[in-house]
Amino acid sequence: MNFRSTCKACISLFRIRMAEGLQYRVSAISGVFVSVFWGLLECVLFTVFYTYSDNGAWNNNGLALPQTISYVWLAQGLFVLQTMSIDSEIMGKINNGDVGVELCRPLNLYTHWFVKSSAGKLGTAWLRSLATILAGLLMPAGYALGAPASALGFACFLLSAGMAFVLCSSFAMFVTAIRLNITWGDGPTYMLLLFSGILSGTYLPLRLWPDFMQTFLYLQPFGGFADIPVQLYIGSLTPSAALPAIGLQFFWSIVFIAAGRTIMNHKLKNIIVQGG
Amino acid sequence: MIAEGKIYFKYLRMHLLSGMEYKGWWLMLIQVLVVVISDPIATVLLFSRFGNIGEWTVAHIILVYALAVASFGLAESLCRGFDYFPWQMLRSGDFDRLLLRPRSLFVQVAASRFHLHRLVRPVTGICAVGWALSELGVSLTPGKLLILVLALAGGCIMYCGVFVLTSGLAFFTIKGLDWIYLLTNASYQITRCPEPYMPRALKSMFSFVLPMLFISFYPAAAVCGWNYPQWLGYLALPAGAAFLCFSLLVWCFGVRHYKSTGS
Repeated sequence: MNFRSTCKACISLFRIRMAEGLQYRVSAISGVFVSVFWGLLECVLFTVFYTYSDNGAWNNNGLALPQTISYVWLAQGLFVLQTMSIDSEIMGKINNGDVGVELCRPLNLYTHWFVKSSAGKLGTAWLRSLATILAGLLMPAGYALGAPASALGFACFLLSAGMAFVLCSSFAMFVTAIRLNITWGDGPTYMLLLFSGILSGTYLPLRLWPDFMQTFLYLQPFGGFADIPVQLYIGSLTPSAALPAIGLQFFWSIVFIAAGRTIMNHKLKNIIVQGG
Repeated sequence: MIAEGKIYFKYLRMHLLSGMEYKGWWLMLIQVLVVVISDPIATVLLFSRFGNIGEWTVAHIILVYALAVASFGLAESLCRGFDYFPWQMLRSGDFDRLLLRPRSLFVQVAASRFHLHRLVRPVTGICAVGWALSELGVSLTPGKLLILVLALAGGCIMYCGVFVLTSGLAFFTIKGLDWIYLLTNASYQITRCPEPYMPRALKSMFSFVLPMLFISFYPAAAVCGWNYPQWLGYLALPAGAAFLCFSLLVWCFGVRHYKSTGS
């Protein structure tokens, strides 16, 4: 099958899913509500810690308070790109045996699902993400999202955020490929998603984790979901460090795509189609 | 009343036994345990980096937080059906069948789901309360134990109220109920913030709209003898009951105006 028809199929899949995502505006609004509340709560918490705690004023925390507040809002904005669960349509296909039908299509299954799940994610996420960040900009002074550290930093942030989307999608597909083992159930994939969420920095900015873990936290794949782009924005990673950081995101995307493809191809050789 | 109670426990037993039929059922216990333990990690890490906030140590926060989480977990175990109601019952039209049965609707919906692994949360929470109390050097007298039990009961009732409220509202909206997350999983996160430093708006919202502080902070203060009026610690049960009453009103109103959905 040639390259051009694959591209064409992918683009139309993408358009369908984007339009579909826009159908659920009410749920997007209520999602924004939750994100903003969550962001505010984190802001309050960090303000309390930075202002009243024993070591708060002694500024050796890697991040200053305004930086942390900006971090919170941007991380909330990027959080929606992360997979919380496998795309429900694909999940349904795995569970009820429609995988068989999907395999009949003249399109590589991995490519097909990759486009489908990433487009599905982006379709619902971009609106929610922008609205959350806008809300962060409109907050009263102490809790507002600050300006980027530099223009160059902002450019790096945009680039890195795009890369984060690719990384999140490839990780989601990696998890989906693992989920093809129906007999394992939800357990392993759920654990993977949970750990990736904790290590992505949306839980707690990675700079605020214990110092001895910092090297590990920088090198592990999940920091690329949110931590690296946000740090580029707030300036705790300088633009000169941007290239290795984005390179790291790129490296892990390749690893996840390769691993996902391998697992999927291996699994498809002797897949058991469920249901009927 | 007794007959309804019997039915409720029969339902629970049935769900329990059917859940045990799956060989890997205990895997879910471990999974939930990991979720429950990883949740307060951010707070613990913050304390380890920033040190104590005035008199507030990590044990203070864990005590208040664990009380809230345990009561949430209890409600989640006992009223799980309401949590699923808008998604699984209402939209599919299964609710119509319940209306035909000559039994209490509340019991039927509440017991329509039960998962053993949901009990991991309250058990872990209660253990954490015990740890925090020993860390703070508080010895338990019968009076203090009573306050804690009342707090858990009140909290459980309050969160049941939240689930019932969700279901009641679902009659009118059918979709777009994600914001209810604020009242469930997000609500106990506010206990991570020490009460004296909490902004006033947040404090009043979570004591008068959702009586969160009454079921977690004030009982903890009464037990440990922090400088708050003792009687505030006993308000958990009435506050929770008031919230549940309000939710039941919404629910009953919803049931009366219910037009079938689905096929």
